Amino acid sequence: MTDSPHANGAIIEVEDLHKSYGSLEAVAGVSFSVQKGEVFGILGPNGAGKTTTVEILEGMRPPDRGTARVDGIDVQSDPRRVKSIIGIQLQASAFFDKLNLAEILQVFGSFYQKRVNPQTFLHDVELEDKAKSLYKNLSGGQKQRFSIATALVNDPLVLFLDEPTTGLDPQARRHMWELVQRFKEEGRTILLTTHYMEEAEELCDRVAIMDAGKIIALEQPQVLVDRLLGRGFHKEHVERLANLEDVFLDLTGRALREG
Amino acid sequence: MRSSPTFVLTLAALKMWFRDRQALFWSLFLPLLLMVIFGLMNFGSLGRVDLGVVDLADNQESQGMLAVLGAIEALDIVTEVDRPSARAALEQGDRDLVMVIPQEFGSSTQPLTLEVMYNDSRPRESQVGLAVLRQVTDELTFQFSDASRLFVIEAAPVASRDLRYIDFLMPGIVAMAIMQMGLFSVAFAFVQLKRQGILRRLLATPVRPVSFLFAQVVTRLTVSILQTGVLIGVAVLFFDVHIAGNLLSIFLLALVGGAVFVSLGFAISGWAKSEEVAAPIANVIALPMMFLSGVFFPREAMPKMLQSVTEYLPLTYLADSMRSVAIDGATLWSQWVGLAGLAAWLAISFVLAITLFRWE
Repeated sequence: MTDSPHANGAIIEVEDLHKSYGSLEAVAGVSFSVQKGEVFGILGPNGAGKTTTVEILEGMRPPDRGTARVDGIDVQSDPRRVKSIIGIQLQASAFFDKLNLAEILQVFGSFYQKRVNPQTFLHDVELEDKAKSLYKNLSGGQKQRFSIATALVNDPLVLFLDEPTTGLDPQARRHMWELVQRFKEEGRTILLTTHYMEEAEELCDRVAIMDAGKIIALEQPQVLVDRLLGRGFHKEHVERLANLEDVFLDLTGRALREG
Repeated sequence: MRSSPTFVLTLAALKMWFRDRQALFWSLFLPLLLMVIFGLMNFGSLGRVDLGVVDLADNQESQGMLAVLGAIEALDIVTEVDRPSARAALEQGDRDLVMVIPQEFGSSTQPLTLEVMYNDSRPRESQVGLAVLRQVTDELTFQFSDASRLFVIEAAPVASRDLRYIDFLMPGIVAMAIMQMGLFSVAFAFVQLKRQGILRRLLATPVRPVSFLFAQVVTRLTVSILQTGVLIGVAVLFFDVHIAGNLLSIFLLALVGGAVFVSLGFAISGWAKSEEVAAPIANVIALPMMFLSGVFFPREAMPKMLQSVTEYLPLTYLADSMRSVAIDGATLWSQWVGLAGLAAWLAISFVLAITLFRWE
């Protein structure tokens, strides 16, 4: 991703966003834009304001000040129209426990006035043999993938992934990464939040690092690393060529452990 | 239409409801069970009279009298071993009366005394028993003395409305079932949807919250119609209950009652943060009404003070109107007091639901 970020045109534009809860200023003047086809990461420790920022963009929470536009639509003045063109995977969500996956996808399709073929979307997230299963009986990785399937039913212009791999085992995490890579190759725009730096480095074209409600860095991951190294930074220990995760994956295999 | 979110959501909500075994149990099987169990008991009829007989004569005449007594339907005759054990059984409350037939019975033409002890704590049964015994001994006197009768009673049965307990019970159970369904199924379902984050996921889509609420309400009202149909069906088929009133009026009452309790359910779900809180709140509302609204026994049995308060409960309005229409054959419009009461409760619970209900 060495192209100029403005080559394709911005699909998300955020200007000077503010949001407070009581005396706590969760988002304190955030501005950035996301280009079409880009995978954009928002990183930061817990409480940095990532989730609030994303929820404002999703039309789920009005900002106190500032503007956010998705595909030119102001999220505050028309949240429903924004919701109809984006897909959202929430950090902690669940689905009706008395409907099977195929039925849930049909219900979600109706929210966008669409009759969907559930199998298409289950196939997209490699759950094609789970059409008759209940959400509660899925493994952690399968649940996250199904959650993404429900976010794809309207063929969204932007896919929001909120900590998509939190709580997953290494195999399921890698599987999720492959999925995101594939979406990226299909040209989808993805905005994801994470607190795994390895994940951001693997997936994101650009990352915004947030702390205390503000963006403190916004760059391509490699540029950020080069910049740090340029300042003469070096780790206390020499980087080994493998780490414990590599050992774990070598011992337990890269194959998924779910049914 | 087929892909409108409201339509699809309503179908899905119905599907979910019928797959929910707990909801089915509480809303359909439990009321049905209660109706069948209580319906098999007939609290309204007089208990049979237990008569213990100590037959000291034990001859043809005494056997003859016992045969006459045994043929009387209202009597259950127990042959006692001796006087003390018979008295003990009477004191235990196992007998309503004990009669001692003296040794001289049948062999003497002198007036004889038949000793009868009766249970003072069961006056109705004892009096019936005594009256029967007097009549039987009078008959025997006539037979022995050959005197002609001065009066003859000619009895003829007249068919009258025989209100059994099941007739009283059925409309009350229907009303109770609707209350339970409205309060519990809505309160539990919504607290669960909120707690698990399902509502949040729906709010992340362009679906209008009203579509979702509409689907939930329509599902519950459909269930209230179903409950009414099933309970009435079983009562008519298996208990011979005669529905005197208009079925359409009964279903309309079911809908209005359903709306009242569904709104109350929404109010509870707005207030309660978890199922652990929703359950006691729903119970605090439902349980007293189950016993105070004349579901299982008439409110006339209550002290006057309590009667005048319980008159205004929503379940009382529903149960009373249902009973008047279903069993007494009243018209819907004659039940305007009940309908007005339900309408008032609907307004109150609707306002409560609107103020208390929260999506998150």
